Amino acid sequence: MAKYAFLFLDDGVDYQTAPTPEQQKVYADIFKWFETNGDKITDGGAELQPTRTATTIRHRNGKATVVDGPFIEAKESVGGFSILELPDKSAAVALAKTWPGYGIEVRPIGDHREGE
Amino acid sequence: MAQYVLMLLEDDDWVNKQPREEKERGYAQINKWWEDLTKTGVVKGGEELQPRRTATTVRRVNGSMKVTEGPFIESKESVGGFSIIEAPDRAAAIAIAKTWPGFGIEIREIVEQRPREG
Repeated sequence: MAKYAFLFLDDGVDYQTAPTPEQQKVYADIFKWFETNGDKITDGGAELQPTRTATTIRHRNGKATVVDGPFIEAKESVGGFSILELPDKSAAVALAKTWPGYGIEVRPIGDHREGE
Repeated sequence: MAQYVLMLLEDDDWVNKQPREEKERGYAQINKWWEDLTKTGVVKGGEELQPRRTATTVRRVNGSMKVTEGPFIESKESVGGFSIIEAPDRAAAIAIAKTWPGFGIEIREIVEQRPREG
């Protein structure tokens, strides 16, 4: 078994103001997905506020610069994450395909970085 | 108190162009940061991710899930890990993020922390 981070992707549409019935169904399906796969989740992680609330800090030449906004402006962004334990990468990708939301970036987790 | 996620940012130059000793020193400082802030109860959890070249992305395209190799976005900077922290407010979270010995951090407030096990 190995651990994988599921980075839940946001497609840039703001659902929080007035969700349509279809969006409400997606939310209900996501809730159900977490229930169904609870036995594989080792850390529930978190759901994040939208990127417009983000603050980014970078260290350059020994100084910290603070800017409002995410580290990269793009239509897609990370909206949350969870950690799951699964047999291998293909099992992780197969499970990610059952996600009722927009998308997932699957990233392996390891105690030691590959090739470093 | 509020909870924030610190998305730990990597920069390709930081990872690839630094001399080995410099990088090892950086990792040692990062380990110490985790230990110290976990001890004081500021850091509530987190994970380090494998490099973004190991990522696979799944997206809904015209109703079906499409699989592509690689991260959801290719850029010089990328997410290399997460840390969940507790802080009185955003200004305090920013002050904590400024102490991070690595390249950078994107701070995001948490809507809801999901249960550790479903």
